[in-house]
Amino acid sequence: MSHEYVPEIALDRDGNEHVVQGWQDDFYGGKLGFWLFMFTEVMMFGAMFLTLAYYNTLHPHDFIEASASLNRLLGGTNTVILLVSALTMGLGLLKMRAGDVKGAKLMLYATIILALMFLGIKAVEWTAEYNHGVFLTLPALQSGNEHSLPFGKILFFGMYFTMTGLHGFHIIVGIGLMLWLIKRINSGKVTPEHHILHWNIALYWDIVHLIWVFVFPYFYMIGAAAATGGTGGH
Amino acid sequence: MDTNILNYAEERVRYYKVLIGLLLLTAITFGLPYLFEAGANLPAQMFIAVLKAWLILMYYMHLKGEKLIGTMTMFSLSLVFIFFIIVIGVDVTNFQFGAESHITAPEHTGGATHAAPAHH
Repeated sequence: MSHEYVPEIALDRDGNEHVVQGWQDDFYGGKLGFWLFMFTEVMMFGAMFLTLAYYNTLHPHDFIEASASLNRLLGGTNTVILLVSALTMGLGLLKMRAGDVKGAKLMLYATIILALMFLGIKAVEWTAEYNHGVFLTLPALQSGNEHSLPFGKILFFGMYFTMTGLHGFHIIVGIGLMLWLIKRINSGKVTPEHHILHWNIALYWDIVHLIWVFVFPYFYMIGAAAATGGTGGH
Repeated sequence: MDTNILNYAEERVRYYKVLIGLLLLTAITFGLPYLFEAGANLPAQMFIAVLKAWLILMYYMHLKGEKLIGTMTMFSLSLVFIFFIIVIGVDVTNFQFGAESHITAPEHTGGATHAAPAHH
């Protein structure tokens, strides 16, 4: 089964048929369009980072103390997992472009496994934080009660759960996209000759990785020196 | 680098080199807090993050050699910089009720920051 393009036909007043210009083979246009989508992601996370930076200037000591309580071992492990997953995704695209469809699919499966590992570690981390009474719905992160954390810490953890949660949602979407891509490859709709979908999903995975490149140091590392007892936070 | 022309062996080697670079920079990230004081740690961390982002953008996202997308990226980032940093930054800096809001009020010392927010 091949990727077959069926042109749209328009009729003029005299009933003559004309082929409408199609853009299905416009590789560069498809790529450019996806870059535009990625700019919206940058705007969204960029606004969050600016909010975070602003709160940081208001409550620098609370931010450092809150950061010191995060688990750098788990955060660092997730950083390395995402680094390697970006490699497997890139190698998968490379194999697809070189005509090695089976190798490309194997690399996609490897990327999915790494993504699931990332989510698993994040779940362990969030569970530990919940068990220590630090989570969005718990009294520690609600201001104005006897269990409330200092306000700067409430802001820090509020942003932490929001941003890592949104990033985790992007990881889940990425897994869905990769499964869909594998389905399209299996049905012959993504081939070495028509691989723009693979290319754009690889770009999506890279932007997810790129966001984590900033999320990790801002949340986990700004208070690393203040932490006592090694890298373990809790 | 034209993204439609493929030199498989060369590109694969480049991918591994970039991975090694990213891993090294990640290792540096872990060492920075012990080299810099708290105030300088954050800018140093962000500098390393920008280096990592540059590697990802240029080689994993194939921006190197992509003149149109590269120009568009720089243009868009400039817009973000102008509107978010300068326009909103100036506005936030001059926030009229900064001293009254429980978010923007200056940080207290001695653990008094968890008091109920002021209402206004």
